[in-house]
Amino acid sequence: MPLSPKQRAIIILAAVLLATTGTTVPVRSQVFGIDAHTVTVQVAQITVVDLTVGAVGLNMTNGTIIAGQDMMTVQDQSSQLRWGTNSSGRKITASTSLAAPQFQLRLQAVNPTRGTAASEITLSSVPQDLLLNVGRTSGSCFLRYTGVALASQGVGTDNHVITFTVQAQ
Amino acid sequence: MRHNLVIVVLLVGLLLIVTAHSAMGQITINGGNPLLTVTTGIPGQEPAAVTNTTCSLRWRRENVITKITVSTVCPNQRFSLRVLATNVSHGIAAPEVPLTNGMPAANFITSIPTGNPRNKTCTLRYTASATFSQGNSVELGNDSYTVTYTIVQQ
Repeated sequence: MPLSPKQRAIIILAAVLLATTGTTVPVRSQVFGIDAHTVTVQVAQITVVDLTVGAVGLNMTNGTIIAGQDMMTVQDQSSQLRWGTNSSGRKITASTSLAAPQFQLRLQAVNPTRGTAASEITLSSVPQDLLLNVGRTSGSCFLRYTGVALASQGVGTDNHVITFTVQAQ
Repeated sequence: MRHNLVIVVLLVGLLLIVTAHSAMGQITINGGNPLLTVTTGIPGQEPAAVTNTTCSLRWRRENVITKITVSTVCPNQRFSLRVLATNVSHGIAAPEVPLTNGMPAANFITSIPTGNPRNKTCTLRYTASATFSQGNSVELGNDSYTVTYTIVQQ
């Protein structure tokens, strides 16, 4: 069915409108274009621990011995433990590589910036609690080592490799 | 009369589609949807921030001075994301913009001049960061940001 003159006029008018405005008129006033995309941020489970001092030496010499006492002690608090974990419900344990040490070696966390220090432990090859409630924190504490020997134990050297582990509480 | 109505409806629909398409085409994000993963941290400090520059923005010239704004929606946002325009071919990059859920549109590139070239570009530099206290995605899920760029008359 052929178009009437009126219909043709409407089509021409619309075409002119399209040609003149179709590529320049923004959707909204003063807005010329919009685009969007999705950005995803993923955070892995991160747990890190380090020590400020690599080696600690505890030496019992004549100066640490008190006449008349069998037990001798020496302390060191020169090293710090630092950690960071973004997992919830975490604690830090400590253990030694030496299964049967000749002398006793004790350890306690001192002045932790986060978490709660556990009571002083006597290091063994079984991990024991050093710091509690360190989940989703970053902090540090001093490590106080105490070497204990009895005069009756004689002389000798214990070499410990101490492992600190962040684990579920 | 009925024919007239049909023709008018069709043409108006066509006009709307072309106009909308034209406006959308004025600015385009290239590079898809980036994923930024924070994986390392420093004991006693915080996890290391991660940067992504795989996406870019391209926009067409206008007859007036324009600017580009950025806004975002991120329900249940837990971590941090910032964006900065780098390698801006025309216009002035705004300082790095922190992207927060529901933020009002913030200036991203301003004073974009009129004239050639027809297409202008910049690189999108996203930086994601988190603190240890903010947790991790395994326990809390990812942050998913819908980031919108709009070119407007300045």
